[in-house]
Amino acid sequence: MLGPLGYSFAPAVRRSRTLYKWIKPLADWYANVAGYRKMGLKYDDLLIEENPEVQKALSRLTPREEYDRAYRMKVASLLSVNHKPLPKDKWLPASEDVRYLKPYVEEAVKETEERHIWDTMEVRRK
Amino acid sequence: MLAARTTATRTAARLARSFATVVDSAGVKVAAVDYGQPTSAVTVLVKAGSRYQTTPGVAHALKNFAFKSTAKRSALGTIREAELYGGILSSSLSREYLALTAEFLRGDEEYFVDLLSSFVTSAKLTRHEMAELVLPVTESESTLAQQDPATRALELAHTLAFRSGLGYSLFAPPHSHLTSEDVRSFASTAFSKDGIAFLGTGIDQSALSSLVQKHLGGAQLSGSGFKASPSAYHGGETRVELATGKQTVFIGYGTTTPSAELAALSAHLSAEPSVKWAQSTSPAAAGLPSGTTVQSVYLPYSDAALFGILVQGPTAEAVKQAGQTAVKALKEATGSGLKAEELKKAVAKAKFQAASATDRRDSIFSVLGSKVLAGSEASADSLISSLDKIDSAAFSKAASALVKAKPTYVAVGHVDALPYPDELGL
Repeated sequence: MLGPLGYSFAPAVRRSRTLYKWIKPLADWYANVAGYRKMGLKYDDLLIEENPEVQKALSRLTPREEYDRAYRMKVASLLSVNHKPLPKDKWLPASEDVRYLKPYVEEAVKETEERHIWDTMEVRRK
Repeated sequence: MLAARTTATRTAARLARSFATVVDSAGVKVAAVDYGQPTSAVTVLVKAGSRYQTTPGVAHALKNFAFKSTAKRSALGTIREAELYGGILSSSLSREYLALTAEFLRGDEEYFVDLLSSFVTSAKLTRHEMAELVLPVTESESTLAQQDPATRALELAHTLAFRSGLGYSLFAPPHSHLTSEDVRSFASTAFSKDGIAFLGTGIDQSALSSLVQKHLGGAQLSGSGFKASPSAYHGGETRVELATGKQTVFIGYGTTTPSAELAALSAHLSAEPSVKWAQSTSPAAAGLPSGTTVQSVYLPYSDAALFGILVQGPTAEAVKQAGQTAVKALKEATGSGLKAEELKKAVAKAKFQAASATDRRDSIFSVLGSKVLAGSEASADSLISSLDKIDSAAFSKAASALVKAKPTYVAVGHVDALPYPDELGL
């Protein structure tokens, strides 16, 4: 639950159609207000990196994803130094704000959990 | 005592015959033999050797992908479970076949057959496993093979002799750009019904086929399989500088008709003594400088064979001297044929080699596996009876036909000092 991705209510919200209808606009508004999109970043660029699973996930990105991530980071640091976000037409559109890192992190977490299970299992003779 | 021996022979013959039973189970060939060993072994033989590869090194990468994650269990799970059962998993690659072997205690066959069939049906072959687990091993194996003069010489000899197909190297190039997509497309073609056989030792035939039926039955093997393009022998000469290992020279001939006569010729020229610390009576071993070895190499494939002599020694001069003797012995054997008792001796040696190969687990699959895949009779008897039929006329015909072709000559080591083929009398 308290993994590198943090806790998420999203699956529960997505399951209920009424809840989804009410919360989706709020979530979209929040994502825009959070301000990372106007620095040209994606949500997964903000994920805390100092974690073995995320490090493993980052090492498994495709070369293209890795390059794009580094490029976005570079642009964002330059904008931060200049104290000036991107012009509004160059903000990251919501359609491009995809969770590109999440599947890799989930896979890495699953591997760690499996290793933990194997390391701590008890063998019983049948 | 004689009676006991006859019984033993008869039992051995019956057991050897029992391997011949090849049945179709879930569309794939299954063959097993049970000598009553305390452990069992099951091998999946896949027609995915390096001769079929579409990209250099893809077969080698697939070999190292063995026992990585499948739809049923992860790579870690495979290892840990196998450890709990006390089994050994291994994979090996030849020019024609990829063999995945599981050795385990009797009674655990259910799990291990499931493990092997899940690799064939649902290996994930993921990109991150390729980068993290497969490529480092592939690269280090290739680098090691490059350092070993004998392996290097045989790889080069195959390339010179057969060029494409059988000429492709067993090892991926050290700096290959293989991707998991390459491996996946290779595997999807290779894992076909015609291209897979299950071979068991220490396991009952019907038990194995019902397990294969159970674990492979539901899954579809959709691959179309590989068709081997017919091999052609070319021959040639190459010299490669190598600073490590012994000075090595390979003198070989290839043919597109593998025959029992060549196995006998190889046994005749083999300079390995039958008794430790003794000198072989083989003509190729006469006056061998100390530290120098002369090995005869006979590598039969389904539609071709490479025959040759591998000379290794500490110095180029010693190799030259031993090479001259070996070539002289080869010329004598192929020119005027062998004397009756020499032929008898060679056939006996070849017969023993063939029979003992079917005795050992690691070699039984390479000897009989191809026959099982072809659906023909796969028993030690058929191998030995073909050697029994050799007569001197057939021998000298096969031998002289062999050396009519252009020789394959490879020198690995100090190329400045190692002899050229004409200096050895070729």
